[in-house]
Amino acid sequence: MFEKILVANRGEIAVRIIRACKELNIRTVAIYSEADANSMHVQLADEAICIGKAPASESYLRIDRIVSAAEITDVDALHPGYGFLAENGHFADVCESCNIRFIGPNSRAMSALGDKALSRALAKRADVPTPPGSEGVVDTEQDALAVAKRIGYPVMIKAVAGGGGRGMRVAHNDISLVKGFHTARSEAEKAFGNSGVYFEKYIENAHHIEFQVLGDHKGNVIHLGERDCSIQRRNQKVVEECPSPLLNNPKFRKLREKMGKAAIRIAKEANYTNAGTVEFLVDSEGNYYFLEMNKRIQVEHPITEEVTGIDLVRYQIMLAMGEPLRLSTSDVQVRGHAIECRINAEDPFDDFRPSPGRIEMYYQPGGRGVRVDSHIYAGYTIPPTYDSMLGKLITYGRDRREAMDKMSRALSEYMITGIKTTISFEQAILQDPNFRRGVYSTSFVDQLLSGARRELME
Amino acid sequence: MDLKDIRAIIDLMKKNSVSEFELEKQDFKIRLKRVPNGGGSAAAAYDEPQVAAYGQPPTPIGAQPAAAAPAQLPPSPELEIKSPMIGTFYRAPSPDAAPYVDVGVEVNPDTVVCIIEAMKVMNEIKAEVKGVIAQVLVQNAKPVEFGQALFRLRPA
Repeated sequence: MFEKILVANRGEIAVRIIRACKELNIRTVAIYSEADANSMHVQLADEAICIGKAPASESYLRIDRIVSAAEITDVDALHPGYGFLAENGHFADVCESCNIRFIGPNSRAMSALGDKALSRALAKRADVPTPPGSEGVVDTEQDALAVAKRIGYPVMIKAVAGGGGRGMRVAHNDISLVKGFHTARSEAEKAFGNSGVYFEKYIENAHHIEFQVLGDHKGNVIHLGERDCSIQRRNQKVVEECPSPLLNNPKFRKLREKMGKAAIRIAKEANYTNAGTVEFLVDSEGNYYFLEMNKRIQVEHPITEEVTGIDLVRYQIMLAMGEPLRLSTSDVQVRGHAIECRINAEDPFDDFRPSPGRIEMYYQPGGRGVRVDSHIYAGYTIPPTYDSMLGKLITYGRDRREAMDKMSRALSEYMITGIKTTISFEQAILQDPNFRRGVYSTSFVDQLLSGARRELME
Repeated sequence: MDLKDIRAIIDLMKKNSVSEFELEKQDFKIRLKRVPNGGGSAAAAYDEPQVAAYGQPPTPIGAQPAAAAPAQLPPSPELEIKSPMIGTFYRAPSPDAAPYVDVGVEVNPDTVVCIIEAMKVMNEIKAEVKGVIAQVLVQNAKPVEFGQALFRLRPA
């Protein structure tokens, strides 16, 4: 049993991990930058170590400082959360070599899935379909045009080292392809230190559906059902739900089982352990394509927890301790319906401009079936240096209708003053007739916003 | 040079009872100093929960009982030496040696004032300021975090 765990993250996920540790009677160490001295995760942990100045490059991304902090507090294990170093194989290796158990997959599984082009090859070996695309990295303009000709427009240009929806652009013809190819490469070099890009056919009006998997060190892998994350703005998820209304459509009855099995094949091919998520795109005909696998706990994990009754972060800790999976996929029961809204400090009326600052009044919704995973409080100042997510609002109901009604109710109760938030934007999504019917795709938000803009201007 | 190489060098130093090793290349310099058994183990040195010792006391939002902090002089930021790293603080190069500095000693920016040990490597910490040591703020062999004040100085 771990006695002490270092939480190598910040914000709401650090609070989430600390909660899981407390429930397991495991002591916690928080790390924080100077900008986060008053953050909630620092207050809740048993011990806290300042590891540097505000920029992530001087704090939350500093492997040496994080490992030093782990050493002087004598922890048994470290949880990396999501983002930052969560999918950094080198970091996982350094922890293990310092006798600190890394709560996540081993570095080999990470490398097998780290490079997007490599993971496409892995999917092929696992007999899982991928979107038509380039075989590996596209190096020259000539190759770019040839690949585009073969797979057909529109083409999505993606950075191999990208992630979290970053480093992607769409091209509709040869001219925009060549321009996009060069721009994407220089952006990728700057953002990820790797200019490699690959191409995929852009599947329009698709659903983004992902499967939660868990793997133990004995090679057992199970899945816990899917999450539908099609409601995105600029490739950033906004609203997620579980189960997917698309897969509940009688027309696609067999799809859930097929995709679940495909997700497990991918994880097994990578010798995956601990928690992970296999992402797919599903088109309007019910064809599914593997996109990538995320080797970490995800932001939207709570909706899976609500419908399955399984504490995913607790499972991560148990699996890292060497516990075997005592569940099979068929043991996992999905009951009811859950929805999550990511609440960001952004102004939806000003093109979602980030709105850091001091929170004056804070009242979070409650009542039956309402869960708030957040680190903010009245009087807290949001630092400008990190992402704008304030927290997640999750509702659970016996069916989709109840979950949606609760979400609208909860959003209307949520009061945050002093900064701008996306609460009104999410309320507009929940009230939208197409969303309520469960009929939407990844183009939903764009359509909603362009419709809304026209109304504002009239 | 990566962590593996450094560990290999440390092992060699142990095996051959070498206490100091220095290597300088074009844009890289490393110096390793061994502290004999009993003085260097970070894990052994750190043996009590240190809620109050880490950084600023938490803002009173009711979440944590306020731990007693030692009475301190009002800080003068320009005459403090702050820790640039996380590790274990040592006053002297070895347990038997005299401390690098003491109250009343005048230091220059290049004066080595202490060692901070991290991941079994001893790092000599320079003053970076000119002044006279007025107060030593951390006890020997205690862990320190980034930005933690180590010494308070008064003008020379």
